[in-house]
Amino acid sequence: MADRTNGRGKAGSWEPRIVGFLCYWCSYTGADGAGTARMKYAPNVDIVKVMCSGRIDPELITMAFSRGADGVMVLGCHIGDCHYVSGNHKTMVRMPLVRRLLSGLGIEPERFRHEWVSAAEGEKFSRLVTEMTEQVRALGPLNWPLRMRERGVGHGQDLHPWRGGEA
Amino acid sequence: MSHEGSAGGAAGDNGGGLPRIGVFICNCGGNISDVVDVERVAREAAAQPGVVCSATHMFWCSDSGQGIIEQKIRDHGLNRVIMAACSPSLHEKTFRRTVGRAGLNQYLFEHCNIREQVSWVIPDKELATQKASRLVRAAAARSAHLAPLEKRRIPIHPSVLVVGGGVAGMTTARDLAARGIEVTLIESTPFLGGRMAQLHHIYPTGQKARDVIGPLIREVTSDPKVTVYTNAQLDQATGFIGDFRTTIRITPRGVTADCADPQAAIDACPEECLDQFNLGLSRRKAIYLPYQGCYPAEPAIDWRSCTKCGACLEVGNGKGIDLEEQPRQVEVRSGAIVLAVGLNTYPLRHGEYGFGRFPEVITLHQLNRLLDPSGPTGGKVAIDGRPASRVGFIHCVGSLQRKGVHRPMRDGRVNDYCSRVCCTTTMHTAAELKERYPRMLVYDFHEDIRTYGRRHEGYYDQVSQQGVTFIRFDPLRPPRVERDPRGEAPLVVRTFDRLTHGEEIEVPLDLLVLATGLVARDMSKLVDLYRCSVGADHFLMEVHPKLRPVEMASAGLFLAGTVQGPMDISESTAAAAAAAAKASALIKAGEIELDPFVAYVQEEVCSGCQVCLTVCPFSAITRDEAKRVASVNSAVCTGCGTCAAACPSNAIQQYGFEDAQVKSEVLALLEEPAEVAAVG
Amino acid sequence: MSGNGKLKVGMYWASSCGGCDISLLEIGTRLLDLVQIADVVFWPCAADFKYADVAGYPDGHLDACFYNGGVRNSEQEEVARLLRQKSRTLVAYGTCAGDGGIPALANLVTPEAIFKAAYHDNPSLDNAAGVEPQPEVETGVGTLRIPRFYPAVLRLGDVVEVDYVLPGCPPQADRVWEAIQALAGGAVPARNGEVRVGCADRTVCDECSREKRLLKIKQFRRHHMFRPEPGWCLLEQGVLCMGPATRSGCGAMCLKADMRCEGCYGPPAGVEDQGAAMAGALGGLVDAATEQQAQEIVDQIPDPLGSFYRFTMASSMMKGRR
Repeated sequence: MADRTNGRGKAGSWEPRIVGFLCYWCSYTGADGAGTARMKYAPNVDIVKVMCSGRIDPELITMAFSRGADGVMVLGCHIGDCHYVSGNHKTMVRMPLVRRLLSGLGIEPERFRHEWVSAAEGEKFSRLVTEMTEQVRALGPLNWPLRMRERGVGHGQDLHPWRGGEA
Repeated sequence: MSHEGSAGGAAGDNGGGLPRIGVFICNCGGNISDVVDVERVAREAAAQPGVVCSATHMFWCSDSGQGIIEQKIRDHGLNRVIMAACSPSLHEKTFRRTVGRAGLNQYLFEHCNIREQVSWVIPDKELATQKASRLVRAAAARSAHLAPLEKRRIPIHPSVLVVGGGVAGMTTARDLAARGIEVTLIESTPFLGGRMAQLHHIYPTGQKARDVIGPLIREVTSDPKVTVYTNAQLDQATGFIGDFRTTIRITPRGVTADCADPQAAIDACPEECLDQFNLGLSRRKAIYLPYQGCYPAEPAIDWRSCTKCGACLEVGNGKGIDLEEQPRQVEVRSGAIVLAVGLNTYPLRHGEYGFGRFPEVITLHQLNRLLDPSGPTGGKVAIDGRPASRVGFIHCVGSLQRKGVHRPMRDGRVNDYCSRVCCTTTMHTAAELKERYPRMLVYDFHEDIRTYGRRHEGYYDQVSQQGVTFIRFDPLRPPRVERDPRGEAPLVVRTFDRLTHGEEIEVPLDLLVLATGLVARDMSKLVDLYRCSVGADHFLMEVHPKLRPVEMASAGLFLAGTVQGPMDISESTAAAAAAAAKASALIKAGEIELDPFVAYVQEEVCSGCQVCLTVCPFSAITRDEAKRVASVNSAVCTGCGTCAAACPSNAIQQYGFEDAQVKSEVLALLEEPAEVAAVG
Repeated sequence: MSGNGKLKVGMYWASSCGGCDISLLEIGTRLLDLVQIADVVFWPCAADFKYADVAGYPDGHLDACFYNGGVRNSEQEEVARLLRQKSRTLVAYGTCAGDGGIPALANLVTPEAIFKAAYHDNPSLDNAAGVEPQPEVETGVGTLRIPRFYPAVLRLGDVVEVDYVLPGCPPQADRVWEAIQALAGGAVPARNGEVRVGCADRTVCDECSREKRLLKIKQFRRHHMFRPEPGWCLLEQGVLCMGPATRSGCGAMCLKADMRCEGCYGPPAGVEDQGAAMAGALGGLVDAATEQQAQEIVDQIPDPLGSFYRFTMASSMMKGRR
């Protein structure tokens, strides 16, 4: 396995890099609740806040993996609890589709997790984060950019100016 | 209602030009800085592209802290501000205002949560500092793509629709009208008054319920600002805060004020059915009045019982009676809506504590009807004519239920909450029984007694002194109700008395009263029409139980009374008054400001594929037929961003959550910091 | 340009099916106009040009070169570099050159699996010795070299700087002719990344006249399973039409013939990942009340990767299988 370090954790160690897309009204508030209750959990999931899990475009997920995430979490309100009535219903359909795409790409199912976390479920949030971190740690780095560089793909010109300056 | 990005103030360049980012990291009095090395976060932030200053402070939210931020915005010509501190739910608004005071558009601000999601949850200082630094880096990358935005302004139609003609709905209507606001009050049954009209004496004043609600009904119905529709059901609804359009369906009552002798018509009616007002304890005609002095004063026809035989039409040539009148629809326009639809009593199962099997088992609400002198027994506590001299009460029937002990409802859950009003009502009713019949033997079977309210405990003391016998049962072994095998009494209740260390006792009774709990009504219509959020207990949910207790998450909707959970009359009217105050504050403001995070269409790349129209939960998107592109009604858009994720050409974007903003944040999180290269 | 004032153009066939070369013929009688304005100086498919001929041209000799096909082996990369050097304007002609095209679906399997399928498990093959092509083979008369097989199919833009991409599988004839005319009119290299030409920024839906009824999808169906109602959006009828996530320019030709869009023009402007964009849209269009229903309907999609990324695996976010 290439590249066992990624500048996280202690020097020379490797720590899973996980991006968590959270809806604001339920899951993000649940995460705040875990904080207010001083629950301790793994530091590996970096939260990207959206107003509704319905905003989570599958493109964000493929982008996170393709740019070096070892895992991705998508958390939204429970079905029936959506602040926007049915925004999470779209998530409910998109995520199984994303899971099928990822499995076809050879990404282990444990690297992608979609769960419902309410504003009151801080405990569930902290448990999910720690579980996710450990299951991704067990799998090791995904290193997608490196793998693709080794195969020669994707080192061409950058079509997308907002990526600015990245190789 | 503009949300166009336009320069709002004086300082900086309001987003134009290259990003000049200021990063402010809060110690939060040690809450953050005890774990996170804030100075290191500040140093690392300063190395990010576009960051021109970074600073730490003990409390940036303090007056002096905010003053420094304003000063730095001016001194450095900042055009982006990042605050790394507590959760945005606490102080995002505070700092947006700070930024605005410095003349910078308040949406050129990015809040970064390093307390609830970093310092409070990650004990390891190094890992916490790394994470804080990452989040700040992502916020900086994201902020470079921010654009100035303006809040949306939405005009408010100066009227309120109140749904529910019980004490809460009428209190709301009265209070709104008193502030000069037009009110439409709709009640689904033919008569105003709701559940309160069915009560007898009410605590804590001991007044007759109808003596309290009667004047309220008169006040509401005589107010020219209030339009009342009875027999009116919600049918359809469109619109949004400031401009709701609700269609109500009005079922004809069959009888008008022109009916000269309503009583003769009632007498002529041959159809009888159970009187729901008396909770099935008596029978009434298909054409009926629930009680003397009700509003409206004209009888109504119960169409489920009426066979349209025409007997009533033979009285006085049928003047004022119309059996063929069709339902009609009325559209009600309102700026706000108050939901006061009340609740139901716990639906007892057949045989639960003998209910339905033994006529001597009734509910506390039925006992209240019996005690009412105008009730089915003329105020006598009697079953089938047999007066009761031994009466028992069982508390918490349908409340405080436990999984595994109580049979679950159809949805699989049990009512595990306290229904709040039953204990005091039981004490209050027992006191009345003992007052009226001092020699009556009254037994109180309880698991727990919660006379929690002001002046409620007095009833407990009173009945204790009046000689009511308290028997405390084990909730895991609730009382059993049987026919008395010896035939001495109609019923016998067997239970284990925890007050005598589990002794099994047997109490013969003439009447057993079940203090049934309170449950939510079927909210599906409200959910369907107004996108209401419903709690696990099936009652409607407020935004926040303490901070915004009568507002709903759907803007412009308010809650009054027991639609929100069990309450007694005092609590209900207090909630109703609060809902009226909140609604009138909205109406009086004339317009409302909303966050600008709505969707917008980049018409040059929109193909009119209409995927967004299909996904929008609020029907806020329409197709501009002339341009063949999608068009967002930003007043209706709630800013969920579902369309932005669905748009296959990324033509729909959401202000504040544009693709470039979210993607740059993700990329920055995954970036490896510069010094890592050396480590790796 | 030549001394005769005519354009000097070339065309090359790399990892593609050959349809692009034929598509150039599809401009029909306009070919006669083409030879009035252009001299073909390199077109191995049509005439016997040697690489050495091209190597002998001065740099920038070709006014324009149309390179079709992706890059799967070292020969194709070598020629790409050569043509880049010799051409003022390099056009990635067709979706294979632009986005990898159908051959790039091979990025979902390993080179070893490809060799196994091609040289071992192929039922029409008699290869008892298990021989595989080797880049270098010693023979009695010297070392025989064949191009090296790459681990993945690359876009042309992955190996050289590309001026324009003319998408389509193949590019539609009218768009090809417009591009030639633009070149004849003195169009200059873009020099700001790959500029997509012969297409619009919008999607196939923009050019499709089928009616939308704003209905959700209850089940996915394929063309052989039912007869779609003419004139009604195929996607709403449950056919996995890629039109909403595909760049326009083709004139919605397939849809006019009651066939679904397969996505050959690649993602529309502003979208990087055609498949993910389609997945995002479908998520909103599927009519499911429960998670189980959602899963059941999603499971009806045959080969999601092959359907969503049929033409763009090499340019997608993920690029290929791990």
